[in-house]
Amino acid sequence: MPIGGRKQAPIVHELEEASVTSTLSGRAWDVSGQWNRMLESRVLTDYSYEGLGKVAALEGGESLEYCYGCGKCVPVCPVDLVSEYGPRKLHRKVQTGMDLFTSDDLWKCTTCANCLRVCPKEVNMIEIMPAVREAAVLAGSVPEELQVVFEKTFRYGNALGENPRRRHGWTKEAGVEVRVLSSDPSPVDVLFYVEDYWSYHPRGQQAARSFVRILDRAGVDFAILGAEEKTIGDSQRLAGEKGLFEALMEDVVTTLAKYEFARIVTPDPHGFNALVKEYPKRGHVFEVQHYTQLLAQVIDRIPLSREINKVVTFHDPCYLGRHNGEYDAPRTLLNAIPGLNFVEMGRCRENAYCCGGGGGGMWLDGFNSNHLSERLSERRVREAVDTGAEVLAVCCPYEVSRFEDAAKSTGNDHLEVMDIAELLELAMAPVGEEVVA
Amino acid sequence: MPNGRVVVIGGGPAGIAAARTAAEFGVDVVIVERLAYLGGRPIEENYASLTPYLRSAEEAIGEMVSPLLAMSNVSVRYESKVISCTGEKGDFSIVIEHRGEQESLSAASIVVATGFSHFDPGRETQMYGYYEFDDVIALQDLEAMLKSGQVVRPSNGEAPKRVCFVQCVGSRDRQIGNEYCSKVCCGVASKEAIEVRLAVPGVEVFIFYIDMRMYGYWESQIYWPAQEKHHVQYVKGIITEVLPKDGRLLVRGEDTTMGRPMEVPMDLVVLSVGMEPSEGTRAMAGVLGIAQNKYGFIEAVNPPLDTVSTSRPGIFAVGSALGPADLEDCVSTGGFAGAKAASISLAGVGV
Repeated sequence: MPIGGRKQAPIVHELEEASVTSTLSGRAWDVSGQWNRMLESRVLTDYSYEGLGKVAALEGGESLEYCYGCGKCVPVCPVDLVSEYGPRKLHRKVQTGMDLFTSDDLWKCTTCANCLRVCPKEVNMIEIMPAVREAAVLAGSVPEELQVVFEKTFRYGNALGENPRRRHGWTKEAGVEVRVLSSDPSPVDVLFYVEDYWSYHPRGQQAARSFVRILDRAGVDFAILGAEEKTIGDSQRLAGEKGLFEALMEDVVTTLAKYEFARIVTPDPHGFNALVKEYPKRGHVFEVQHYTQLLAQVIDRIPLSREINKVVTFHDPCYLGRHNGEYDAPRTLLNAIPGLNFVEMGRCRENAYCCGGGGGGMWLDGFNSNHLSERLSERRVREAVDTGAEVLAVCCPYEVSRFEDAAKSTGNDHLEVMDIAELLELAMAPVGEEVVA
Repeated sequence: MPNGRVVVIGGGPAGIAAARTAAEFGVDVVIVERLAYLGGRPIEENYASLTPYLRSAEEAIGEMVSPLLAMSNVSVRYESKVISCTGEKGDFSIVIEHRGEQESLSAASIVVATGFSHFDPGRETQMYGYYEFDDVIALQDLEAMLKSGQVVRPSNGEAPKRVCFVQCVGSRDRQIGNEYCSKVCCGVASKEAIEVRLAVPGVEVFIFYIDMRMYGYWESQIYWPAQEKHHVQYVKGIITEVLPKDGRLLVRGEDTTMGRPMEVPMDLVVLSVGMEPSEGTRAMAGVLGIAQNKYGFIEAVNPPLDTVSTSRPGIFAVGSALGPADLEDCVSTGGFAGAKAASISLAGVGV
């Protein structure tokens, strides 16, 4: 498969209903469909600073106009590979009259930060996008499916709209005791912040159970918030609901203030990102770890004796890797598994491709299907298959479901998508059979 | 024995730097200047400010001129030109003419600092209408406006709402014969764009370019601030024609990164004209018998490591007589040639 992939043909505007009326006879002709294809002028006339000025006036929107058109961002933009998009292109479109605030382009960015990594002018889409989206959300101009997620998050404290009381339902089948702090508020080392997809999504729940069984074997003292937990909502923030994020933050810190814990450990790189970068801006400073970081610390205490004789590749989550610089912990874990043949994809670590789930993309698959030739997760699955891997290992709760769907839709059902916690558990010796190396 | 005099032809920034340097070695210096004052193009063409620091041209050049004129071993022949030159390194004999009167001067060495002239936009192959439309002007015309403090549309005296610069006018063009990049226009246009933004409230300023050539520090000194702080809109794609429309000017070209034609209304169009050898540079090459390059600039014979020696020993060329040059280039080559010229005088070469 060429890296460039298939590009979508330019969008042709065909009005479903269009007619012209004779000024002489009054007779009207239907010119819908192909007839009006040529009616849109190719000539650009709307050059103005106005659009860029509107963006620059927003806190966080200042840098869009810094673009000097080098185009370094476009080849690394995951969306451009399946569409016509990219920060440079966006800059030019706004400069030539596109209203970003009402454009569909506003929702394509996954805030994966690969553009910012290479941008010589530090045009920061990670700040621009949430700023413009926030204004669009306030103006009511937001894709419906995203709006639904915002409302679910607001009502239920989770993006899936699930019953908050059932947040720790997954623990029943965990096979080990999972302490819930509201029942037993004594001090704890690790506050396991489960987040939405490990709490509610069936595949996420499996990973959560694997994780707690590993913690149990490693002798880690941990507990969860249970029904008191609400999502941290970082992706909602990046999708434009800053107000919702801030309201959630108040709830979260109020809950956290009730308990004594040494550190927060979460499987969700998005929540992790907010706890590390956003919470301290409001004075909420915690020691935070991604679950792979915790497991990498205690790897010697995990009895890994069963071989997994499979070729395994790994997808770096944008918010763990590029956003927060953690590339080694997941690899440490995978390489610790006996028999496992770890292979990298061409794009990995700093330039890893994006699964499409970040920045609200998780909840925009329907909306984006009108604009993308294929999902980002589908492209990524093809890259994984190209390595010869039998297993695609992940460590972000968004990804198991995204990549499993993508494996099916691309006809790669043979590719297993597994959370690193699940792989580790598979490699763990059965209880009572630990062999000290 | 020759008196070891250095004759500097041309009293612009490069000539001043050469004269000053030679004079500081204690050598007698005579500057032969075409005009009635020193300062060269920036003064003659009413530049408002100098690139990249936006200092007043009059003030900054004045600070070069005053100390020079205060030196007892420097004299200036104003409104004069060199009409003949004989002899050789260490022992030249020069005739200059001042309002019909001739004067002979001996010289150990000669520095040619006769500079450039602005490209005449009437020669441009694109249809810019410089002589047709009042509101199409050139960089130096805008400099003069900025200096006067009044940036207006010449057609009606009103403040422009939309101003654009068109880069590479008269440069990088085989048909015109100027294949070279004029080096300073990107920076000067960006500098003027900043000044227009500061001078006219609410004005939108665009720069249409092929490549922005902001070498060295100009990138962050001019280009980035113009874009980031002063909101100048840079558009890659050059204007190929300017048409009158509804009392304004319609600029037409291709927006190359969008791959689409563009037609944009403007109130004032500024042509970023390049550099050509001045009349004086062309004339002096003939009078002094020094080699020119194919564009008419004086050729340095041993570049890149000797930037100022010409084909005739004892004669040096400096600044924009050598080709497109910014002010740093001008004073650097000027000082270099001044030192080389002084060394000839001091060594008594040719005795």
